[in-house]
Amino acid sequence: MNPRRALNATLMLAPGVALLGLVLVWPFVVMGGMSLRERFPGPIGPSFAKYAEFLGDEYMLNVALRTFSLGTTVTLICAVLGYPIAWFLARSGSRWAHLVFLGTIFPLLVSIVVRTMGWTILLGNEGLVNAALLSLGVVDEPLRLMKGFWSVVLGMVHVLMPFMVLSIAAVLGKIDGAYAEAAATLGATPVRNFLTVTLPLSVQGIAAGSVITFCLCVGAFVTPIWLGRGHVTVMAIAIHEQMVTLVDWPGGAASGILLSLATLVLLGAYGLLLRRWSRR
Amino acid sequence: MTSKRLLSAYVVVMMVFLALPIAVVIPSAFSAGSDLSFPPQGFSLKWFAAILERPAILAAAWNSAAIAVVATAVSLVVGTLSAFALRRYRFPGRAALATLFMTPLVFPAIVLAAAIAMVLAPLGLIRTFQGLVLAHIVIVLPYVVRTVSATLAEIDKAWEEAALTLGASPWEGFRTITLPLLRPGLVAGATFSLIISFDEFTISLFLVGSGMMTLPIEMYNYAEFSLDPTLAAVSTLLILLTTLAVLAVERTVGLGKQFA
Repeated sequence: MNPRRALNATLMLAPGVALLGLVLVWPFVVMGGMSLRERFPGPIGPSFAKYAEFLGDEYMLNVALRTFSLGTTVTLICAVLGYPIAWFLARSGSRWAHLVFLGTIFPLLVSIVVRTMGWTILLGNEGLVNAALLSLGVVDEPLRLMKGFWSVVLGMVHVLMPFMVLSIAAVLGKIDGAYAEAAATLGATPVRNFLTVTLPLSVQGIAAGSVITFCLCVGAFVTPIWLGRGHVTVMAIAIHEQMVTLVDWPGGAASGILLSLATLVLLGAYGLLLRRWSRR
Repeated sequence: MTSKRLLSAYVVVMMVFLALPIAVVIPSAFSAGSDLSFPPQGFSLKWFAAILERPAILAAAWNSAAIAVVATAVSLVVGTLSAFALRRYRFPGRAALATLFMTPLVFPAIVLAAAIAMVLAPLGLIRTFQGLVLAHIVIVLPYVVRTVSATLAEIDKAWEEAALTLGASPWEGFRTITLPLLRPGLVAGATFSLIISFDEFTISLFLVGSGMMTLPIEMYNYAEFSLDPTLAAVSTLLILLTTLAVLAVERTVGLGKQFA
């Protein structure tokens, strides 16, 4: 690149890099420093006391395990339920495809508080589902549909489904239809055709969608706190508790760093996988 | 053909699943009763009028709107410049930088929120408009970079080069050729950015406080002590706003292109 172009590129990138440096990278560094203190205010460590505390605390380990299983469960459900929608969007050629596309992204743009409140109206003791069950005589008293792990799973699947569908659809749309046609001509049944040709070709979309879904799920705060009603403590809630209720900034910072590292390791592994795929 | 029918039926069911928690809020807003039970009792507009008697909600809505507008304006300028440099120039570290710009999309928002609070607290920027704007810029920047970048990829460089050959300066070339062609990406990016910022909850969590609240957090706090249809009325207005914004983007530039 000649010096003139280099200067142009630098000037254009400067504001963006400065902003991200100051409000993304620097805070993360400060948080790293905070996690190495034993208490705040207090001397700067380095001490790994807060990390040791986290790893020795059964409550926090349970929270981490719960967060991880929530992420895995939600990702699996989104992939299985979302794949057919993605297929419809990318390959059906239906004239309704665009409408379904709008229906998929619209929830993404509606406030998370609104969506969560909608679930309250549906699942609450006096909500739609209980009203229907009571009037049908299926149950005698309202079921407690909120407050549980599975109500959080339901809410999270609703929030994250669009990400999975769009990721899979993007890859499905690029697969050359000739492969499936060739397999069909060679006598493959539709099921075998799907399992041996299309599904393997769309694995990249499933992987991309799963990584996004999992990362967003383990970092989620609003849905678990509202639909779990304090009974489903995940990492994000625990970090908020540590920072605000216990005013234990170093502890909250250590938990935050651990959650971020888990996310970054996953993203890094996915990046390596992508590079491998593109080399083939 | 039956498998095609089956797929269509399944997609309809899933669309209902996606729409239901949003749609169910609307009838509740017109309830004459005083709780969020379903089905709503009677019909009344009193809960919309009740919003006007909640100064806290009005102030928070005003804050959120102002934050969204300022954060969007800044990230449109910064994001367009960055997307342009990342698309049109090749330099070492380009891929890493592109990844950095997208990080806020997948990074746990609560961690970022806590980290930003740790930096802004000593500067006295907690519970201030400026502090919230800074945090929101980081959250919406990826959306602007992504939509502008996607539009840039479709613009033939030859247009700009032709302008340069005909004697235009690089800035003139950008202003008269590329910028007008970028309009769809900018419109979509700005709309998403406004919506995302206005609705953002987690990133503001440690930065708000008495005197400087955002609407989503004010709504959440309100729900903590009373779950009456006022919130459903506010939500209905939000759904209406989102629908109008989505339709506007769909009409002017087409939503499909922005997500391809």
